[in-house]
Amino acid sequence: METQYQGSGYRLPEYPFEPPPEIVEGTSKRYRVVVVGGGLAGLSAACDLATRGISAVLLDDDNTIGVRGLASRGITYAQKSLEIFERLGIYDRVKEKGVEWSHGKTLADNDVVYSFDLAATRLSKQPPFINIQQFYIEWFLVDRIYELGVTDLRWNNKVVGVQELSDCVRLDVETPAGKYHLEADWVLDASGVNSPIREGLSLPIHPARGQDRWCISDIRFKLDAPLERWTWIEAPFNENRAVWQLPMGDGVWRLDYQMDANADPDAVSNEGVVRSRLGQQLGEDREFELVWVGPYAYRTQLLDNMRHGRVFFLGDAAHVMSPFGGRGGNSGIQDAENLSWKLAMVLNGNAPHTLLDSYQAERHPAAVHNIKTTSRTTRFLSPQSNAERVLRDAVIALAREFSFARPLVNTGRMSAAFQYDASPLITDGGNTVQNVPLLLSGGKQGSLLDLFAGENCYLALWFSEHGLTPKQVKLMKLLQAEKTNLRWCIYSTIGHSASELEDGGGKLKLALGVTEDCVCLIRPDMHLAAKIEKPSASSIRRALRKGMALEI
Amino acid sequence: MKLEPNIADPDGLYEALVNAHAGLSDQESAALNARLIFLLANQIGEPTILYDCIDNALRLMHKNSERGG
Repeated sequence: METQYQGSGYRLPEYPFEPPPEIVEGTSKRYRVVVVGGGLAGLSAACDLATRGISAVLLDDDNTIGVRGLASRGITYAQKSLEIFERLGIYDRVKEKGVEWSHGKTLADNDVVYSFDLAATRLSKQPPFINIQQFYIEWFLVDRIYELGVTDLRWNNKVVGVQELSDCVRLDVETPAGKYHLEADWVLDASGVNSPIREGLSLPIHPARGQDRWCISDIRFKLDAPLERWTWIEAPFNENRAVWQLPMGDGVWRLDYQMDANADPDAVSNEGVVRSRLGQQLGEDREFELVWVGPYAYRTQLLDNMRHGRVFFLGDAAHVMSPFGGRGGNSGIQDAENLSWKLAMVLNGNAPHTLLDSYQAERHPAAVHNIKTTSRTTRFLSPQSNAERVLRDAVIALAREFSFARPLVNTGRMSAAFQYDASPLITDGGNTVQNVPLLLSGGKQGSLLDLFAGENCYLALWFSEHGLTPKQVKLMKLLQAEKTNLRWCIYSTIGHSASELEDGGGKLKLALGVTEDCVCLIRPDMHLAAKIEKPSASSIRRALRKGMALEI
Repeated sequence: MKLEPNIADPDGLYEALVNAHAGLSDQESAALNARLIFLLANQIGEPTILYDCIDNALRLMHKNSERGG
């Protein structure tokens, strides 16, 4: 058997193992929140909780980020994730290290048969996408978590057992200094595809594997191509199979090649084979550094319930999908955000435990949607019969000639925030609101996120063409006195003395789809909870209480 | 989905289809039909009508193959 070649890899930071207090003191301890897994979802959750003042223990099974220090892994971070990074305080580093892009092209030979430019609908301070190696995101999150200083990060702490007790969860943990156990009120399991907790609880995930084989080659190379996502469905330099080409940080490019169905993963990732394959695309005599080579096959799996008692499942521990459109990593980050604000509200005594039920109600449909979307791409890229190939050939042929057929070409639909319109928390909307740049009071440049002022609260935006009447001001003050989890901002195009913000071109109203006077309630995760025309104390109160699972 | 007659020139349409397939191999005919399906689908656009058409075509195909053709 040939040895799998993995590439020259990256130099990653290593974090120190410190014997946990349970081992040092020989006692068992109980914690409010334990996060398991230091990947995108786990670190996002720990960091998010920390920004909301909630301390957690984070258990990671090794002492670094990334996998075996080699992999670039998930590289595409969509606008919603970038907005979350902004709130968590790592966006500037992501922007500096990564590659911004918005334009994607699908080619057949040299013809563009499908293209998109997501910059056209962008209203946010953040761009549609930044490509960057996954471990950089994890690295920045770890730095930020240390900086916030409230999380107990435990490296080389591997969870090997789980037990549900009457009022908590017990986790057995292995470390270089020996075994110990701890108890947690709430466990956030973000330990990935092969979660030991999910397996320990024997929860079914309905796994399915595809026959199709792919091989990623990340190369450091001066490629004379625009910073765009290019895809070929039938690349002449890959025996008419698909190829993906995307830029990322450090001058590295991802070239993802579709292989023969049932190809041997070790054979296709052999260094000589990889170099000769890439030579077909790049030119035989071009020098390049192979940073990472990773063969993979499609795989989907999904938990029926992303919450099991006191255990919540996030990211790959809950759902796995094909990589098209970057939906895996981005949805894990959004799982983390969705749960964190709710858990923080519950732990701070501002909302009932039933608020946590909405995690499943909102994130499970999002996972179902992502799996459906990526499975459709898979089906397009790997025709399973002669009839499927005939249909796809027709689409490609038509797309070369006619614009109507171009949207049928499916090389991955890019990750977008899910709309929680069927959620029990949502009165009206449920869509994410873009992080619109704003001129804040005092003339400071900011964005919609700044209006939360770092609080874990709902934001009520009152759009009023002519400013609030004294009666409306009274109503606002009445509601303000009732609930602390609400911040008010008044937007008025005239009467600036009453307005706390002005956004010049009305981008905020455009982002909210608002034309008339109304109150918009925005959740801590920037999803729209309600749009209330003719606002009254009772209509605002009802929407707000619904949004926090309080009795109405 | 319309099931009442809506084709203005039925004989003409049938002839045009037959003529288009004349002299084609099975493979070429399948390719022609596939292109035609997408062109026609774009004229209709409305998903519920299109899915109704697919469902009914498939149902009829199964019914006919049970009868032996």
